[in-house]
Order: sequence, then C-alpha cells, then structure tokens
Amino acid sequence: MAMHITMVTKIKHDGSPCRKCAEIKDRLEHQGLLHRIDRIVIADERDPESEGMQLAAEYNVTQAPFFVIKEESGITYIYTVYFRFLKEILQRKVAVEEELAEIIEQHPDLDYI
Amino acid sequence: MTNATFNIKQLAVQYDTKGPEEILRFALNSFERIAVSFSGAEDVVLVDMATKIKKSVHVLSLDTGRLHPETYRFLEQVREHYGLALEVLSPDPAAVEALVRKKGLFSFYKDGHKECCGIRKVEPLRRRLNTLDAWITGQRKDQSPGTRAAIPVVEEDRAFSSAEHRLVKFNPLANWTSDQVWQYIRANDVPFNELHAKGYISIGCEPCTRPVLPGEHERAGRWWWEEETLKECGLHSGNLTKAANE
Repeated sequence: MAMHITMVTKIKHDGSPCRKCAEIKDRLEHQGLLHRIDRIVIADERDPESEGMQLAAEYNVTQAPFFVIKEESGITYIYTVYFRFLKEILQRKVAVEEELAEIIEQHPDLDYI
Repeated sequence: MTNATFNIKQLAVQYDTKGPEEILRFALNSFERIAVSFSGAEDVVLVDMATKIKKSVHVLSLDTGRLHPETYRFLEQVREHYGLALEVLSPDPAAVEALVRKKGLFSFYKDGHKECCGIRKVEPLRRRLNTLDAWITGQRKDQSPGTRAAIPVVEEDRAFSSAEHRLVKFNPLANWTSDQVWQYIRANDVPFNELHAKGYISIGCEPCTRPVLPGEHERAGRWWWEEETLKECGLHSGNLTKAANE
C-alpha cells in the first residue's frame, strides 16, 4: 500500500540541531534509504508554530526525531523508535539489542518501570 | 471496549482532573486484556487501589535479576498480602548471558544503562505487552520533571505500539505528588519496600540505585554517573502544550 512518510527533526532551544536527529538522518543516507522519506520537517523548540512542533502536539509526541506515516487509506501511524520504523515500515533487518536500547533512550519514562 | 475504538486524546482531557481510583476503575472496566505494572516501590498504591476495585486484577513485575533482596522480599509480601497471582517477568537468559560474556556484569557503569535495561527490562516487558491491549503504570510527573512533565493519565503507548498492535497506557498517578502517594500508603496501611526506610526514594536494580540525601531529587538516586547532557531527545513540553492549545 502506498504511504507518505514524514520525518520530524528537532532544533533545540539554543538553535543547535538535535544530535540524535542528525545521527538518524545520516544512517538513513548511508543505508540508501533517505529517498524513502517524503518530507523532513523541523520541530523548532523556539517556535511552537513550526510544523514539527505542531505535529508533535497533534500526535502527543514528546521525543524527537519521530516519523509520521500516512497510508492511502487515511490511517496514520507514529513511530518514535527509529529501529522499529526501519523494521516495520522500511522492512530492513534490525538487531534486537539496538532496537531495545533505542526504545529506552527515546522513552526515558520507562526508567521507572 | 477495544483499543481501536478508544478515543485517547479526548479521554486524556476528560480524566485529567479525576482521581487515581476513578481512572483505574475506568481502565479496568474498559479492557479485558489489561495489567497493572508493579515495580516493587511506591507504585504499590496502584496494587492496593486496583485490588479494591477488582479482586482478580492482573499484576506483573519485572525481575531483572539484579534487584535488591529487600525488593524480592517485598514482591512476595505484596503477593501474599493481596492474594495475588503476581506474574514475574524474566529476561531472555541467552541475551543476558551474551551481554555478560561480552561486557561483564557491570557494563552500565561504562557504557550507560540503556543496553542493560533494554535486555533486562524492555525485552521481557515488550514480549508481555504484545499480548495485552492496555497496561497501567505508576508513572508520575514529579518523578523526573525533565522527561515526565507531559505525562497524560491515558495515552497511546508509543514505545510498544506498532502498526498491527495499538497499546493503551494508563498513568493514574500522573498528577499525584510523592507526598500524596505516601499519605495514601500511611492512611491505608499499605505495605511498602523496606528500602524506603533506608533513604531510597526511587528503587530499581541494586547496582543502579542509591539512597538520596534530604532535599535531593529522586532522580539523583538513579544512574548518577551518567551525564544529563546525553538526555536531549525530549521536545520541550511547554511549547508542545502551547501549540496543542492554539
């Protein structure tokens, strides 16, 4: 099924780019997958009106980067864990350890479970 | 109700001002495949509240293999006190063995806690949550203001949901403070982990938890050797709230 993929990356309060967002964009590029991303939008923490901040608010996402996948059918999925996005949407092989470590990195609330 | 028909955004607003018991009752009445997560710490209040609402409530705990002896004793105390069939989840032994073989027993002091937590906590939790429609946690906004300020009382679990499996997460204690939790524990004679009497606030694995000094935030008692600067993935919640309201 055709889908539209948006990647949301972050600009921090001090104007610098988010380290993790840049790292993931590089990974996509090195793996030859960047062309699968239809749009990259910025969540600028200095500007709540920026498109990425609006998307984060709309989908109640508190971490960056994240991916918004819209299927032709109208269904939207949000991925905050890059390795799961890679596995489930881009259908690439992923090491379980990498995926697990990223889940906790992107969801520090799990620290207290 | 199934999680496909569950309007999370609307319910999060509707239930934000309600008390934990009301949120719990709603959660337990809404889903059949639901469990309470119990870490062996202050979240025992959830177990107390939930068993008063539904005697047969399902409670699960993670045994990472590195908990304090006091926590193991407390898990058993809770099991007996409430007559629970407490489900204790264990990590995949092959993954733990591989990590220890490669990096030793204390790799987290050097490489950070995420790899070890991924294997010992996230994997068994994910395995179990894949079989549920919803779960209930004791997460509170005041536990780590930097990362938890935006915790809603009900949310789609972005960590464990997938395209095929949408998981709902309830956080009935999100708006409670530590003081309110302890008032409840004392007022209701709820058993508590003896480590709390030894200066521990937040309780996790033994090598990664320490008591804190009076006035110190509970986060100071967890992974104190790691740099705060590495935790930079959060989107500033003040801005998110503002954007959401406009």
